[in-house]
Amino acid sequence: MIVGLYGNQNSGKTTLFNELTGSNQKVGNWPGVTIEKKEGRIKGSDIEIVDLPGIYSLSPYTLEEEVSRKFLFEEKVDVILNIIDSTSIERSLYLSTQLLETGIDTVIALNMVDILESHGINIDIDKLSDALGVTIIKISAKNGTNIDNLISTIKEGNYKKNSNLKIYPNDVEKLINEISSSFNESIDNKRFASVKIIEHDRAFQILNNEILESRSQDIEKKYDMDGEQLIASLRYQFIESILKDSVKRTKRENTITDKLDKILLNKYLAIPIFIVIMGLVYLLTVGVVGRYTVDLIDSLFNGSSSIKGLGPLLEELILNAGGSPISASLVSRGIIAGVGAVCNFIPQIIVLFTLLAILETSGYMSRISFFLDRVFHKFGLSGKSLVPFIVGSGCSVPAIMSCRTIEDKDERHLSILLTPFIPCNAKLPIIVLFSSFFFGSSSWLVSFSLYLIAFLIILLSGYILKKLFYKGHESTFVAELPEYKLPSFKYVFKDVYDKTLAFIKRAGTIIFIFSVIIWFLSSFTWRFEYVDGENILIENSILASIGNAFSWFFYFILGGNNSWAASVSAIQGLVAKEQVISSMSVIAKVSDNEAIFNSQIFSFFTPITAYAYMVFNIFSAPCIGAISTMRKEFGNYKDMFKAVLFQTLLAWVLGSLIGLVQLLISI
Amino acid sequence: MQKFKTLKVGEEGHLSDLKRGQRCVVLNFHNDNNALRRRLLDMGITKGVIIEIKKIAPLGDPIDISLRGYELCLRKEDMYGIDIRVVE
Repeated sequence: MIVGLYGNQNSGKTTLFNELTGSNQKVGNWPGVTIEKKEGRIKGSDIEIVDLPGIYSLSPYTLEEEVSRKFLFEEKVDVILNIIDSTSIERSLYLSTQLLETGIDTVIALNMVDILESHGINIDIDKLSDALGVTIIKISAKNGTNIDNLISTIKEGNYKKNSNLKIYPNDVEKLINEISSSFNESIDNKRFASVKIIEHDRAFQILNNEILESRSQDIEKKYDMDGEQLIASLRYQFIESILKDSVKRTKRENTITDKLDKILLNKYLAIPIFIVIMGLVYLLTVGVVGRYTVDLIDSLFNGSSSIKGLGPLLEELILNAGGSPISASLVSRGIIAGVGAVCNFIPQIIVLFTLLAILETSGYMSRISFFLDRVFHKFGLSGKSLVPFIVGSGCSVPAIMSCRTIEDKDERHLSILLTPFIPCNAKLPIIVLFSSFFFGSSSWLVSFSLYLIAFLIILLSGYILKKLFYKGHESTFVAELPEYKLPSFKYVFKDVYDKTLAFIKRAGTIIFIFSVIIWFLSSFTWRFEYVDGENILIENSILASIGNAFSWFFYFILGGNNSWAASVSAIQGLVAKEQVISSMSVIAKVSDNEAIFNSQIFSFFTPITAYAYMVFNIFSAPCIGAISTMRKEFGNYKDMFKAVLFQTLLAWVLGSLIGLVQLLISI
Repeated sequence: MQKFKTLKVGEEGHLSDLKRGQRCVVLNFHNDNNALRRRLLDMGITKGVIIEIKKIAPLGDPIDISLRGYELCLRKEDMYGIDIRVVE
């Protein structure tokens, strides 16, 4: 049996899906499009459930709606599970009326019943269920209330069968009958198709003919509305009429949300508050947590005056067991130094994601995109671009994919191109390492300034690119402003857990492998002599000669220094951005067994060149994973190459300009 | 877009002309962006529906409106295509 889970955005669909399936999920893509497809098995049964995209209608205008519609007919859905946000029941039932028209059995899960009372809403379930001819079950997906009841109802088939509910006035129902009887037998879901013909839905025009067309026109004339408008109005009229009997609302004045919005969306206060909040986020992440944790974890890996550290410990162990100095170096100066350099930042990543997840679930994030739309729109973006930008502070790959929610093609294109400018969690180690070493107690301010610059650069690039390439077009913004609520611990925990785990996994795989490669290339010369630091120096290593080939590119950025080590590390940002730090750490260890900035090889860095180097790493081409996602979302290689070229060029110019300041000071 | 004007009760105009707290009834649509028009219909903006202007973004745009027991944010330029009559 297959169950399709349908519902509006923000209806609690994903939460319900998680409740129904537990960990029993498979995440993939819908064929041909980059919309996520989640499948699972309902707990304690063999019932397949598929999570459809959040939609408001089965109209043919967005990819999400098309996917949802096709799935209903092509996959032979046995039962539709329609989740409804009970606090906006009128709008939610609009989708239900369309789902019912398919003739497929439907069960309605009335969600968020726990907050109905506080909203002054009273719903008479029995009356509503009778009026719709549908089984309705009250649930709270967030609290897990009544989920078992929902499961057993579906499992035991204990729900009302689809009764082909008549919702339109007689004349329209008559027309629907007339159209359906004109179809030949092979057509399924006749009622649905008939309504689509009245709506002039392009996907169903093949079934239309002249007689039906003229009959539709008669009806349109009679109601003085075109078919699309007519059907939508009649659906809402029907919903209004049934809700009149089953729903009582007491008007609420000045809710907490309204009061909070008076301050948080205040004309003069909104933007200062926004800047203060984001500043606090980075103060906590980079400033407070950063200073205490990085050194601690680093000493666990590489040792300090009071702790021996894993690396030196293993080195000793291998040497005592009769192992060669080379293998000891591989473990301690290659793997431990490389992987450890990245793991130092796990606490910060946890703190940053916790704070961002709290901002998101509390409803504040939607406010930001609400008031930033005006600004973003001017610069060729949408308020909804904020979503990829925020997700992008985690990882560009899902962020670029989340650009899908932006309706307008040009705004989407620009958002994909500019999202990688946001410092992602892999760039965070670079920022934290450099700013805490060179800027001490004001390091949080420096990190915050980088995020601000990233933001400004995004707007500026958006503006210029819009003027140059995306002239004269219409775009829209339709969004909901959810109520403020206390963040759900479960959600925040899961979100942070998933992202942190992904980071650790990368450290254990890609970073591990590259640490070994970088160790090898920096420990041996082309003639395969081992770099022992006395007779053969690291300057003769394979890695040094590769780096020297590129160092001209970084000459200005590094304030007039030719550094093979910094160059070759920056290039590895293509593999993964945190690899930059990992590579520097390995090189420093191999060269003089020191931490990065205590090593002779990186001693040329000054605060200014550190800043320039950070800027280059933030804005230059993202990692391979993000680049290939860009290609997928653009749909071609040409735009991808253009984007990468633009990003790298911009990064070089910005970095070089800052580095030039150092060069001028030195002279 | 037209210049800003204040509408009194009973007067007709565009949804984008209204100030915070004003309520209106939707009379008709005029725009040629089919996807947007359908989107607005789907969200419940049909003939005869009552809309209240709830919140205006700090920079004056977009605008948060309330209808059918929920709230929705729209850009002013998209609201311009909706004809209304002020009721309160």
